[in-house]
Amino acid sequence: MLQAIDLSKRYEDGNLALDSLNLEVNPGEIFCLLGANGAGKTTTINLFLNFIDPTGGQALINGIDVTKDPLESKRFVSYVSENVMLYGNFSSRQNLDFFARLGGKTTLTKEDYYMHMRRVGLQEEAFEMKVKKLSKGMRQKVGLTIAIIKDAPNILLDEPTAGLDPKAASELLKILGGLRDQGKAILMCTHDIFRAKSIANRVGIMKEGRLVMVRTREEFLEEDLEKIYMDYMQEAVL
Amino acid sequence: MIWHIAKKDFLLNVISVRFIIGFLLCLLIIPFTIIVNIDDYKNQMRIYQIDRQEAEKNIKETHVYSGLRPVIVKPPEPLGIFCKGISANMGDEVKTNFGQKPIFPEGEASLRDNPFLNSFLSIDFVSVITILISLLALLFSYDLFTREREDGTLKLNISKGISRSTFMAGKILGVFIILVPLLVFCYLLSFLIILLSRDVSFSTGEWMNILILFIVSLFFMVFFVLAGTFISSLVRYSSTSIVICLFAWAWFVFLAPAIINYGVESFVETELYENVRYALDEIDRQYYDIHNKKSREIQENEKLQSRSWWNANGGLDGYFETSGTPLEVMEFERKLKAWSEPLRIEYADRKWAVQKKYLDDLTRQGHWQQYLAWFSPSMIFEQVSAGLCRTDMYAFLGFMDEVHSYREILIGHFKKNKLFDSFRYITAQPLDQIVPFEEYYRISKSGNIPDCWSNSNNPVLDLSDIPVFRYRPVSLPVLINQGLLRIIALLAGSIVLFVLAQWSFNKYDIR
Repeated sequence: MLQAIDLSKRYEDGNLALDSLNLEVNPGEIFCLLGANGAGKTTTINLFLNFIDPTGGQALINGIDVTKDPLESKRFVSYVSENVMLYGNFSSRQNLDFFARLGGKTTLTKEDYYMHMRRVGLQEEAFEMKVKKLSKGMRQKVGLTIAIIKDAPNILLDEPTAGLDPKAASELLKILGGLRDQGKAILMCTHDIFRAKSIANRVGIMKEGRLVMVRTREEFLEEDLEKIYMDYMQEAVL
Repeated sequence: MIWHIAKKDFLLNVISVRFIIGFLLCLLIIPFTIIVNIDDYKNQMRIYQIDRQEAEKNIKETHVYSGLRPVIVKPPEPLGIFCKGISANMGDEVKTNFGQKPIFPEGEASLRDNPFLNSFLSIDFVSVITILISLLALLFSYDLFTREREDGTLKLNISKGISRSTFMAGKILGVFIILVPLLVFCYLLSFLIILLSRDVSFSTGEWMNILILFIVSLFFMVFFVLAGTFISSLVRYSSTSIVICLFAWAWFVFLAPAIINYGVESFVETELYENVRYALDEIDRQYYDIHNKKSREIQENEKLQSRSWWNANGGLDGYFETSGTPLEVMEFERKLKAWSEPLRIEYADRKWAVQKKYLDDLTRQGHWQQYLAWFSPSMIFEQVSAGLCRTDMYAFLGFMDEVHSYREILIGHFKKNKLFDSFRYITAQPLDQIVPFEEYYRISKSGNIPDCWSNSNNPVLDLSDIPVFRYRPVSLPVLINQGLLRIIALLAGSIVLFVLAQWSFNKYDIR
């Protein structure tokens, strides 16, 4: 489970990037954070991963405060970034092997890696191909495989579908749906309201560091989520 | 986990362009440098053997003790193949003169047949290591964190639940396991060439010196790896890091040594050697004034009308050899030498006071250079290396101290055996064949000159009881002791850089 309790971040230049965020993502749930650039989505992810320290509040992963015990908290979370940039001169399998071992999975064989890559729909020829030669969609799949292999109960995704073609994005979401069904708590930051709508159990809209709206799946399917989102965005522009 | 990260970096580095270029540079430069230095060593050895044969020949042909001026020829240092130090600027032979203590060796300083080529071929193994390994260390470490941040892999690594310390240690170890084999390769390649050349052989002790040199090279490399690591932890972009690293490299390897040497020469004053020479000439003049006065006094006391020699050779250094000289003159010369030689030694001591001050000034400059070298790891490394290869200032001073000690032993031997008072000091002619004036005139007018009236026909000296100089190179424990503080400084600098890098990376914005 992921929890943010009054989580705030003010940068040294005075910019309040996150203002008292309260959020809870439960096991078996996909929570999509929507918002314009600079709304605080990535800051939230960075705080959960302890890449930056909060200036107020707490970020908890499975009840563990990430600032108090960052190493322990990271045992329970996987991360997929916007542009999965792996080691370009390593093959997909070598990258998986490196990050799996780094995450504590030391007994996996080559066949295990192949099996995981097949499961996310990566083509066989990409298994031993250098990552720098893969398309962005393929790299995202490798990145997702890394997250899956860790088998952490929580997954953080930062714009995972950005730059992907519709087919690749759709495949990615299908995989995420499968992970949710396995009981993972998934927090996904995205601009893509249509993808969010198709997969999320809950969506939250962020604006200027604040979570200004949260809707459950039942609620946003009844409302015109696009319009609500666009209204918030419009206000942000004005 | 550290090893896992290090292994990944090793695998990525080993296929990188920088490794291939670094390897090729080592492969090309090291053999060239070693071959040139072996050639220099062979030339030095050739010069040493010629000088030594000449010195032995001269001493074997000595007829009188006043002509005994053992020339000490310093054998070339085989370890100089690795580090020439100051040996390339020093001569190889020292004359043990009673009239003046030697300050610098004389003889052949140039190593090559064509002196115009010296500056183009003067680089040695340690210089190559100083330039190349420090550059490679920085090239492999300047982007340790910046590249991972730019590629986005830093976030992925840290999100896996490893501490920043572990990550940093793994990254540093990754650089070590690529650079240490490269350094080992450089040494093994040089050993191979040395062994194949068959012109150089090292004693067990010298192999130990080389082993210590290798360890110090490792420390030197570690310093630059950690400097690159620290710089990489300070900046966000690899392009900024490489610029700072290259500046640091140029500063430590070229600018700082040049500035230090220039600063020491400019600000630590020394007497001009011309002034020293003038002062020495002045002391010599005083000596000759007294000498001439005493000479006249003895001549008057001996009631000697004239000084006639049938055959006489001599020089300003106290050498005087005569044969066929009348007994009265011979007695006069003997008395004069018995009186003048101890005085000459006393005046040599006076001159030494002037020379010593000059030498102390030069040594003080050398010491200042060594104190200021603490600001440049490459200077520290080169000084420690020169110390280990016995080609530094201390090795030279130690050798000269031994020469001075030998001179004292020789003087002691002369005094103990009353050689200054003896006829053998000035003549090799049998004493029973030295005739008074009247007889001298008779024989010389008759034209029937005995063979013993010619210096060259008289027997040479029996030198079996003369003390012999034995060169004792400084032992390894002494060398280590001399360089220990500087080795510790290199290590301390590395520890400080490691702590700074750790502190800086803990605060590093990995986004």
